[in-house]
Amino acid sequence: MRKSKELGSVFLNGIITENPTFRLVLGTCPTMAITTQAMNGIGMGAAATFVLVCSNIVISLLRNFIPDKVRIPAFVVVICTFVTMVQMFMQAFVPALYDALGVFIPLIVVNCIILARAEAFASKNGVLRSAMDGLGMGIGFTLAITIIGTIRELLGNGTVFGANILGTAYEPMLLMILPTGGFLTYGILLGVMNYLTSRHDKKKLRKGGAQL
Amino acid sequence: MSSFRGGIHPMKRQHGGKRPTRDLPIREFISDSVCIPLGARQGPPSVPCVKKGDAVKVGQPIALPGPGPLGLPVHASISGKVTDVVRMAYTGDTPVMCVLIENDFHNTWIDGIYGQREFSAITPESIIPAIRDAGICGMGGASFPTHVKLSIPEGARCDIIIINGTECETFLTADDRLMRETPMRIVNGLRLVMRALSVSRGVIAIEDNKPEALKSILAASANLPGIEVKKLRTSYPQGGEKQLILTVTGREVPSGKLPVAVNAVVLNVATSAAIADAVLQGKPLIERVTTIAGCVKTPANLLLRNGTIIGDAIGECGGYAKTPGKIALGGGMTGICAPNDQVPMTISTSGIVVYDEEEAQSLDEQPCIRCGKCVGACPSGLRPYILKHYCDEGDLIGAQSEHVLDCIVCGSCSYECPAQRWLTASFKNMKDKLALAAKGGNGK
Amino acid sequence: MSLRISTAPHIRKGVTTQKVMLHVLIALVPCVIAGIYRFGFGAALLLAISMCTAMLAELIFQKLAKKPVTTNDLSALLTGLIVGLNLPPQAPWWLAVVGSAFAIILVKQLFGGIGDNFMNPAMAARAVLLASWPVHMTKFIAPINGNFGADVISGATQLTAINSVNSPLTLSGADLFNHFTGNIPGAIGEVSKAMIVLGLVYLLLTRVITWHIPVTMVASAALMSLILGGDPLSNIVSGGLLFGAVYMATDYTTSPMTKKGQVIFGAGCGIFVCIIRKYGAYPEGVTYAILFMNCLTPLLDKFIRPRVYGAEKKQKEAKADA
Repeated sequence: MRKSKELGSVFLNGIITENPTFRLVLGTCPTMAITTQAMNGIGMGAAATFVLVCSNIVISLLRNFIPDKVRIPAFVVVICTFVTMVQMFMQAFVPALYDALGVFIPLIVVNCIILARAEAFASKNGVLRSAMDGLGMGIGFTLAITIIGTIRELLGNGTVFGANILGTAYEPMLLMILPTGGFLTYGILLGVMNYLTSRHDKKKLRKGGAQL
Repeated sequence: MSSFRGGIHPMKRQHGGKRPTRDLPIREFISDSVCIPLGARQGPPSVPCVKKGDAVKVGQPIALPGPGPLGLPVHASISGKVTDVVRMAYTGDTPVMCVLIENDFHNTWIDGIYGQREFSAITPESIIPAIRDAGICGMGGASFPTHVKLSIPEGARCDIIIINGTECETFLTADDRLMRETPMRIVNGLRLVMRALSVSRGVIAIEDNKPEALKSILAASANLPGIEVKKLRTSYPQGGEKQLILTVTGREVPSGKLPVAVNAVVLNVATSAAIADAVLQGKPLIERVTTIAGCVKTPANLLLRNGTIIGDAIGECGGYAKTPGKIALGGGMTGICAPNDQVPMTISTSGIVVYDEEEAQSLDEQPCIRCGKCVGACPSGLRPYILKHYCDEGDLIGAQSEHVLDCIVCGSCSYECPAQRWLTASFKNMKDKLALAAKGGNGK
Repeated sequence: MSLRISTAPHIRKGVTTQKVMLHVLIALVPCVIAGIYRFGFGAALLLAISMCTAMLAELIFQKLAKKPVTTNDLSALLTGLIVGLNLPPQAPWWLAVVGSAFAIILVKQLFGGIGDNFMNPAMAARAVLLASWPVHMTKFIAPINGNFGADVISGATQLTAINSVNSPLTLSGADLFNHFTGNIPGAIGEVSKAMIVLGLVYLLLTRVITWHIPVTMVASAALMSLILGGDPLSNIVSGGLLFGAVYMATDYTTSPMTKKGQVIFGAGCGIFVCIIRKYGAYPEGVTYAILFMNCLTPLLDKFIRPRVYGAEKKQKEAKADA
């Protein structure tokens, strides 16, 4: 019972308190590049989540065998393996998405989130916890880039997941699907996230103060 | 013509506020009583040597020099009876010892005041002691003991004496009137100082907005070897010591050093006149010309005895024209606020300016819009907008890295600032803080 | 009697932020009048909408953020007006709303309000509008010249013509005169060069700005166009170069503090305008040139500072001693 609760908190950690995109500001390169559409966000997120979970599990299993000095190359080899698998899988089954994401699929190898979780978490924790961390982080990443993708697609194209939302009268704001729009959206969402967190912390502090 | 960087033209449309008084002759005013502060200048406070009930004559020493080389005696400015010797609140934070004298209106001088002596009768060595015994300190505002300024330290030399007749401050015309009415005293003072320090070059610097003063000084100094009169561009703070040296000589006083580091000594015109009186006539320094301006009925230039209560002087000028909101000793750019009109003026009070309630109101500080006016105005080449940030943060190291110690507190940046920011005030605070920290550091 | 005690100075110049903004607004009046005369009441409506939006955006943001409301300083009104003057006369109304709101909220207020924005808000808004709705932003109409009932005929600005042939273009005398008086298609505010010069004279006389930025910007643009093989005069009078040089590059907050810095800033603006016009994909380079130099301003301020009185000599002396 207690263990499952603890695993749950590891899982939630990646989604909210340590959201890789909004809180840790990791993996910003794919975040900027592929979030022109909401669908891209889901696809990229799913691919990254798969790699994260698998590499976290494997690295956690091998953590006592990998010599400290060569741990980063070893991690990269593990991650590479899974990225290659994902790449081939996507090429075979979802070629449209594969084309949309382009070079950013192989670039998952150097995605900071994956290497950071391998280094900071999987190499120090058990298999189950590492898997949960990978899953949480992956879903957190997916959610974040899907939100950014949704906003950019909505304003820049008037659609969400390809469905027209704002009607034909809406004249798309082209800037939003240009890189500038990515920076703007990301920046504003980061600000909103920080604002909400600080308000939450203040509330907590006030509550704590009252109890004291 | 070489000149300092920056500078402003305060109250340009109102001719620097000088119009109401510049053409009024100096008028003598002796009040019923005086209150002479003994420590309202740089250096140690003087030690009173009279007590309640003593009868004093004009020019009689009432306080002996304080300890150290900066000590100066103080003399009675009117004849009469000492009514009290007591600590009183003054413009600063700490109360100062004051001697109160009630006037008997006989104006009896002490013995030993000789009539005009001849130049040839004066030996160079006797000049500086005579200046100290007369209790002369700088009359331009900083009130630094003059004999110390004239004591050139070992190894240094002085090749130019500059008499500061720029009077770049707003409202003030006291120096202007002095130059117009008694130019000979000023020239004589300069000659005496040149003789004392065996310097062959003396310059009297006057801004070009005082043509009459220029003319009268030129006439008085004609045919005198080594003395030149220099006309300077009207710009505030042309009369700042460091700025004046740069304009006149092209030399720049190194940061943190005194003017003597570039072989120059600067004296105010009133100080020069006081030196002439002291050395040639044996008269101690007991009076000065002060401009009473602003919100008073009839602004004037008054010859006031040291320690005159400012309320009395304002009364002599017909009293307040409107309800006063602020009274400052000195001009509009650098004057020091008086807590009430019952405080006395001193030898360094060049002006008493009354502001009405509306003028005394200060607008709220607004955010800096980075217009760069302060940078353009600063005569020291500082960046007030950044410096202000450090000062507000209380960052002593940051403020020093932005050269806060080179700030001459002239007020130009605050005057220009469209956001009404209190730039000068925060720099002054920071300088005080740093001075205190330096003192504390030595104490440990 | 209660007297105020304060630190000197006791007098102030009396120039306030509000007065500065008011002076710039007055300097823009000739441009506004010329724009309305050339393009009709639609242009007036656009200007009104963008000004109202800017004021409202500032008011609402500051209320929501619980900050002191500073609409009184008129800077938002000025930003709104400049955004409006940068629009083509037939732009849809929502373009003015989005532009002004973007300028005030995203560029100005989110970076800390007046004095803290790193880019000229109106310029940034123009860049955003141009990137987002290029069709609307480049659809110019021929002037109707006070004939308010006339049908509007759309035409291209001179610059688009220059760029489309991508060769040096020399304007005839009559063309130059039309450019000078504003009898050409273009954005509302930028067409009449004579009115812009009038505004410049007013700003110089009231000492709101100094000659450094506008003059160096125009001069360097002329020189640069000569180097690139173009005609300096037609380069100066076409597009928004003059408008940008007088009203946008001179923005206090986003231009350098020192005169030397301002000269470099102006020269940089002029050079980049010509480079972008000649080699860039966009027909007009003023916006991007100024925005680019805005970003360099903190750097210019860091390295170009006035010499502190007496400080450097001390260093030299120290070296001599050592």
